Amino acid sequence: MPGIKPLAVPADVIYTYDGSFDGFLCCVFESVYAGEVPVDILREEDSPLTLMEVCPVVTDLTKAERVRASIPLKISARALELVTTVFCSCLAQKELRLLEFLLRGYREGGKLCFRLGDAVMAPLLSAEKHLLGEAHLLKGFVRFADVGGALAAVITPKNYILPFIARHFVLRYHNEQFMIFDKTNKAALVYQNGKAEILRIDHVTVPEISEREARYQALWKQFYNTIAIEGRENPRCRMTHMPKRYWENMLEVSDLVHPAAD
Amino acid sequence: MDLMEKLTILADSAKYDAACTSSGADRPGKTVTAGCCHSFSADGRCISLLKVLMTNQCIYDCKYCVNRASNDCRRTAFTPEELAELTIEFYRRNYIEGLFLSSGVVRSPDYTMEQMIGALQLLRYRHNFWGYIHAKTIPGASPELVRRLGLLADRLSINVELPSEQSLRRLAPHKKREAIFSPMKQICQEAGQNRQELAVYKKAEKFAPAGQATQMIIGASPETDYQIITLAQAMYGKYALKRVFYSAYIPAVEDALLPALDVKPPLLREHRLYQADWLMRQYGFGAEEILSPETPNFNPYLDPKCNWAVGHMQQFPVDVNTAALEELLRVPGIGPTSARRIVAARRNGRLGLSELKNIGVVLKRAQYFIRTSDWPTSARPDRETTVRALIDPKVYSFGMEQLSLFEETPGLRPLPTARDVKSMAEAVEETVLCLASSL
Repeated sequence: MPGIKPLAVPADVIYTYDGSFDGFLCCVFESVYAGEVPVDILREEDSPLTLMEVCPVVTDLTKAERVRASIPLKISARALELVTTVFCSCLAQKELRLLEFLLRGYREGGKLCFRLGDAVMAPLLSAEKHLLGEAHLLKGFVRFADVGGALAAVITPKNYILPFIARHFVLRYHNEQFMIFDKTNKAALVYQNGKAEILRIDHVTVPEISEREARYQALWKQFYNTIAIEGRENPRCRMTHMPKRYWENMLEVSDLVHPAAD
Repeated sequence: MDLMEKLTILADSAKYDAACTSSGADRPGKTVTAGCCHSFSADGRCISLLKVLMTNQCIYDCKYCVNRASNDCRRTAFTPEELAELTIEFYRRNYIEGLFLSSGVVRSPDYTMEQMIGALQLLRYRHNFWGYIHAKTIPGASPELVRRLGLLADRLSINVELPSEQSLRRLAPHKKREAIFSPMKQICQEAGQNRQELAVYKKAEKFAPAGQATQMIIGASPETDYQIITLAQAMYGKYALKRVFYSAYIPAVEDALLPALDVKPPLLREHRLYQADWLMRQYGFGAEEILSPETPNFNPYLDPKCNWAVGHMQQFPVDVNTAALEELLRVPGIGPTSARRIVAARRNGRLGLSELKNIGVVLKRAQYFIRTSDWPTSARPDRETTVRALIDPKVYSFGMEQLSLFEETPGLRPLPTARDVKSMAEAVEETVLCLASSL
């Protein structure tokens, strides 16, 4: 914005943080109080080999809370929603883009969120759309297997969508026990005894399936293969609606991805 | 016969029903209100419901149907328990959102409906299944049974089958027009009454909360596209239908009254019908704006919205920064989402081309019909360029064969058909010149 002094100016420094949302909020705190916009904000484990000055930002919950409270106050509730959602997305350099958004937001106020065509807003909105779209698709594409009375599923989404599908599955299967393991983000949504939580897990071994389970899987595959009309085969249309990267976890089409492996 | 075989036969006989939507049932947790696709079959259609027939035995002999009485095929029926078990186990594994139950007519329409009601009652009240249920009403069933079915299902539908009474008489001699439209009318009235009951008492029993839909077969009878979309518009208005589905006829049985077995299904025509249907439901178009008695068939090369825009160039360009929402919706390249975003975004500053691009407007088409501060009217390209940009790329993917399935429009310089040209590129080239000269 011409005429208004920006909160922070570009500086030759890279921030690193612990990867948590609170950690990111502390980077925002650091940036505002140092009056500098870093070249990039990275997770500690992706720390670069560079000659540039690296500033490790320590997560401090008091600072994080101050930043969190400031967003609805100085920008708008929608801005906080957007920031939390986009932080879970797979947008490249999401931390830096969110920081740029917040720095502008602190200056311009809630109006910024309505500038849908703005160069800072547009990528955030499309990242949000991508994440919510993927969350919606996975509400349908998750395939559970019954393992000893509990339901288990594995997913490999691009975005970290577990928090966005948790409510849906908890309501749907509130009398069941289930687990959805997110292989990409190494996390699992576990629901048992009426309580749901998201745990950090690296690896899950799914036990052998029972005969009864195998029967239903076979019935489902048979139904899937029968319901298509031969005269209208349209592989491109199927891929548009159901991108191939989801197929490996969907039992009716997983054979099409690795035909040789079976 | 084991369950696997039954499922194969009864899913195979149900696959020609187009509808598989699961939207509109407001039961948080049990169904996704906006609808949810669980998979997509090899033909690209969404699978959100377990789509099966209760039985494929049928006393009717509708010429176009695979389950017609005179067709020699294996017949079977689900028991209510089998159907309930399949539905629940599939739902539990998140394969499906619910059940789409249709049926061949056994003994009489009333008897068939009672069988379906029995199965749904078992599912709802014994097994406590509150997922989505779409049930087909059997034409000619008594009103009391339609009512009972509506109290169990989320959506009801009754197929009009063919777009005119003459065709119905010819191809489905057992189905009377009256037997189709009277339940449709009844469902519409019951739903209206139910809304009042629900307003008074929140926990009143819901009657088909996701409304009703219908389906008709395209390409098995000689109706024009204009007749078809006029019928659809009349049904949307009169019976408050949620959806009309169009199903390109796939020759499955040999009959002198039907297209030969080697005729391809008119998929591009079906696609144009759905586009027109969307224009009527979401964009505020009337059927008589999209087509007219003089031009009763779709232009295969342009989608109906572009076709309308090309014929109404005097209404363009519209100024994106001032035009009303209804005007924006008529611009090719601007859909309902981007139109609403434009209206929201322009409150905070004028929009230029780069903002429109970020908002999601398809500038490839829209640029010829809009005006912004940085895109003045004087920069208009010639007609040929405009028309070229509007040609629907889908024409290429559907292929030459589909073009020959369109009727020619009398009175206009005929558009090139598969017979006159050697390649698709040539056909498109011809069309561009032809359309540009008529602008």
